[in-house]
Amino acid sequence: MMIRLVSVSKTYQVGTETYPVLRDIDLEVPHGMFTAIIGPSGSGKTTLLNILGGLDVPSQGSYWLNGHDVSHFNREEWAHERNHTIGFVFQSFQLIPSLSALDNVALPLIYRRTPPKQRRILAQEALEQVGLAKRMNHRPTQLSGGQQQRVAIARALIGQPPLILADEPTGNLDHQTGEEILALLESLNRNGKTVIIVTHSHEVADKCRQVVHVEDGHVTLAGVLS
Amino acid sequence: MMWRDGVALALRGLTGNKLRALLTMLGVVIGVAAVIVLVAIGQGASSLVTSRIETLGTNVVFVTPSAGTFYPVSETTTVARVLPSGDHVVPVMSTGAKISTPDNQSSALIDGTTPKYFALGGLSLASGHFLTTPELEQAQHVAVLGANQAANLFNGMNPVGSSVMILGQQFTVIGVLNAVGQGPGASQDNAIFIPLSVSEFLFSTNQLSELIIQAPSPNIANLSADELTRLYTNALGSANAVSVASEDQVLQTLQATRSTFTDLLAGTAAIALLVGGIGIMNIMLVSVTERTREIGIRQALGATREDVLLQFLIESMVLSLSGGILGAAIGVGLTQLVPVILKTPAIFSPSALVLAFVFSTAVGLIFGLYPAFKASALEPIHALRYDG
Repeated sequence: MMIRLVSVSKTYQVGTETYPVLRDIDLEVPHGMFTAIIGPSGSGKTTLLNILGGLDVPSQGSYWLNGHDVSHFNREEWAHERNHTIGFVFQSFQLIPSLSALDNVALPLIYRRTPPKQRRILAQEALEQVGLAKRMNHRPTQLSGGQQQRVAIARALIGQPPLILADEPTGNLDHQTGEEILALLESLNRNGKTVIIVTHSHEVADKCRQVVHVEDGHVTLAGVLS
Repeated sequence: MMWRDGVALALRGLTGNKLRALLTMLGVVIGVAAVIVLVAIGQGASSLVTSRIETLGTNVVFVTPSAGTFYPVSETTTVARVLPSGDHVVPVMSTGAKISTPDNQSSALIDGTTPKYFALGGLSLASGHFLTTPELEQAQHVAVLGANQAANLFNGMNPVGSSVMILGQQFTVIGVLNAVGQGPGASQDNAIFIPLSVSEFLFSTNQLSELIIQAPSPNIANLSADELTRLYTNALGSANAVSVASEDQVLQTLQATRSTFTDLLAGTAAIALLVGGIGIMNIMLVSVTERTREIGIRQALGATREDVLLQFLIESMVLSLSGGILGAAIGVGLTQLVPVILKTPAIFSPSALVLAFVFSTAVGLIFGLYPAFKASALEPIHALRYDG
């Protein structure tokens, strides 16, 4: 099992008031699954994704990631885990504007102490894989939205993580480009990666084999297609 | 984050925003340049004092009449009478005059004095001998040449036994001094020494320029100086008509001035470095805020707190050290210009260079610590969402 959440809750404290965002969630995502987390704005789906990525911690419950109990990981342990197990793709791409496409893609390897020469070679390969071999030295601002998202996907791939977490990856793209990005994520999944996409688009969710509905902090599993 | 990556990243940041980097560094540049130049000036002043000690020793008292004070040759005996018998009293009558050989001519300070002048120390003979008592008593027309005068007038030939003309009178050269070199003693290289008795006659005056008294020890020299001050205050009714200063006092004054000077300079440099440090801290805090999202991205991709801390610390150190290098280059350049512009010696000291580098790195480290800590303490989830 790639992901197993057991009775996970998340509450936020504002002053003396506590607001529940996720309530008592149980969730299992098998290895190699193509999963959509779908729900209206404010339903808690982004919080769920943040918890899955270790960017946020649950208030209660336990979280097993890739066979390890990560419920009580501290910041340093999570940094290591994110670096090795998870590739992130964000709605707003989250590229560093001052770095070239190549340097952006190579970033995760810096934190693995990979030597610069090897980083360069691997980053080139990753960019080739997403079809951007000719734009390696461009800055993010010199690229279109679709190209920027491809750079971000190359960055998510470079460390060979088994899990890709994508937060509204097509949200800032036109329909055609969104399709292309989705196709790219599908191909990654075919090659064995577990892919989880947060989306509010049913069209996107229809392409996934597992659909997780989040509403009002509760989760209902819509189904696993074979 | 590896150091090499951190440095490469910081350098790229600097070259990406040159003007901002330069302005940020300015305080450190000025501070480091100031340290190097000021230390060089301090060292120069120190060497001046040292060369004076080497030339004359510390047991010497100078008695100098103010302009307009009648100070005849006979004062030599008056002074010798009140001082301990161990003191040498050397009268000097200095007058500028033209001097010539058949081939050359130059102007020189003609010092009429006694054989004891040579005993003051600091002087040595390249050839021949110094003035003797018989030559003084018989008022013989003999002269001892300073090193520069000998070289200029005789084109490097040994002048002993030759003759020179001073105010139309012929003098036989009996000796040549070795060069004293740089420092206050250098005036002796350009001087010509003749017997005091001859100079009284030649210049038709008995007014002395100064008395130089050499005591057996610095203590006795100080006592003698006090004694002479009392003597002249009583006799002339004013402490200013004749100035009495022991070499020791002169040195003390010099040292005190120098140490005040050095403190002042060090203070100025410290303030410049402090201001530089604050400038760096300010711009690093701005940089952390500007790059909040970048920090969040790096954290999401696996940067630990230590990675982020190190990245910003390296950046502030590179900023500060670059300022240090620029400041050192300017400081070394200015050190070359000081002797030309300020007419004081400046001696470049490598230890000042090392100190400047250590200081500028320390400034980067100390003032970079807080911004770097602030960056590393950011929560990835908030940093990623930051809209700047």
